[in-house]
Amino acid sequence: MLEATDLMVFYENMLALNNVSIKCEDKQIVGVFGANSAGKSTLMYTVSGIMEDIRKKEEMAGGERITVLGQIRFLGRDITDLKPSKRAREGIILCPERRRIFPECSVMENLRIGAYLASPSQAKDTLEYVFNVYPALEKLKKRVGGFLSGGEQQMLAIGRALMAQPKLLLLDEPLLGLSPLIQSIMVRSTKEIRNEKGISIIVTEQYARPVLPIVDYAFILENGAAVLEGPRDEVLNNPDVRSAYFGVS
Amino acid sequence: MAILIYGTINSVALALMALGFALVYGISRVPNFAHGALYVITGFIAWSLLRTLGLNYFLSIVLAIIAIGVVGALMYQFVLIRVRGMAISEIIASYAIGLAILEGLRWGGFKGSTYTLPVFIEGSINIGDIPVDLHRILVVGIGVAVVIFLWLFTHYTRIGLALRGMAQDERAALMLGIDSDVMAVVAMASGAMLAGLAGIVLLPLGNIVVEKGYDVLIQAIAVCIVGGLGSWMGAVLAAFLIGFAQILTVVYLGAHFQMVVALLAIILTLILRPSGLFGRQKELEERV
Repeated sequence: MLEATDLMVFYENMLALNNVSIKCEDKQIVGVFGANSAGKSTLMYTVSGIMEDIRKKEEMAGGERITVLGQIRFLGRDITDLKPSKRAREGIILCPERRRIFPECSVMENLRIGAYLASPSQAKDTLEYVFNVYPALEKLKKRVGGFLSGGEQQMLAIGRALMAQPKLLLLDEPLLGLSPLIQSIMVRSTKEIRNEKGISIIVTEQYARPVLPIVDYAFILENGAAVLEGPRDEVLNNPDVRSAYFGVS
Repeated sequence: MAILIYGTINSVALALMALGFALVYGISRVPNFAHGALYVITGFIAWSLLRTLGLNYFLSIVLAIIAIGVVGALMYQFVLIRVRGMAISEIIASYAIGLAILEGLRWGGFKGSTYTLPVFIEGSINIGDIPVDLHRILVVGIGVAVVIFLWLFTHYTRIGLALRGMAQDERAALMLGIDSDVMAVVAMASGAMLAGLAGIVLLPLGNIVVEKGYDVLIQAIAVCIVGGLGSWMGAVLAAFLIGFAQILTVVYLGAHFQMVVALLAIILTLILRPSGLFGRQKELEERV
């Protein structure tokens, strides 16, 4: 479904992604794990095309010079040069780190803004589905986004991304700053969304432990390079991974 | 009573002048310093269509407003898009366009007191014992209609909601497939059309003169700063504050102090509450 090959991203001369190739098959959940600044968000931005927007803004403001190399194919089509809004139209939707919900809009409005690419009937169906997956959101319909708790915001952010009718959903650190209880809800719902909607999902996390059980395939990033990849069990049983990402020696 | 009536009329007029500026800034963070020029040139376009080409008054108005919308879109597409995100360059570029329009008009001979648009409805009525002409009452009606329309547009339509999303977090909107450049063109065109509409509605109350362009720009900026930049509901509220303050100044201090009110309001707001009355986005951000 998604095939990104030899991605390299430079911020000025700093190498943020070093020859990273990742793949996501149809209806797979792929995990990307790595410490802070390993390049997880950079990878997500590059795949979703947001990096192009960041690059343009930096260039205009005379900031960092960003260079992106590599090739990205999606559903058999080369999308390397596609604008971010076009990639979203193709079905790649990013649910960003720190959620970035619209703070002044109500929950309902956030979801309806998310439905920008959806037809009215798709929007109606998806809205029902979102409230089905996250019943907590339905009670908060009228609440202003900025006044939600972290967990509620994360539910809203994923719900909003679903409204955009993704074929491939990119979840960037969906568990960041959440309590273990909410974390388990988020993990369970991620699997549910894949099973029920057939959406492929790439999820990044700093700690592999909570997410690894639902992942089909995993990549480990270190300093911008993919140091290890494989099916879940293989990664799970790798002694280096166990010590580095589970705190078990 | 007279203060109440004329204060309301003046406030609604100010709100009309400021809404276009507030809308464009709120959505695309472009401070459109050509706002006043767009206001004035719409008057001249309508005048030309009406007097030179002899079109029907209503038709001239519609054409003039459409034309100014196109001008706004072109302004963004060909000039402002290149300096997007650099506030100072945006101000310089849009102010330069404004200057070019206004001084171009002056150079083209559009000056003096020969240019007037007819009022929409002749005559006046008495409210209590104060005579108010019907056109001024119509101004209030149109102002209220514009605010209601904008509210419905931004709360219930797909494009309107997308514009609000983009105003709050452009990059998050982009992730949902909302193309920020297309939306900014839409915002700029509608902002220009609002400026044009304000011109068409308010210019019949006096002559169409180039100097009004600068005047309107200052009033619009004052209203937007007091209301909180980017918040157009704040702008409406601020328009009433400044509107009534101006009328009170005229009544108790003298007409020539009117302009001071707007400038004083800018200075006081920047000293006492720099984010304006409705600059509450910051407060929310801190919570998150």
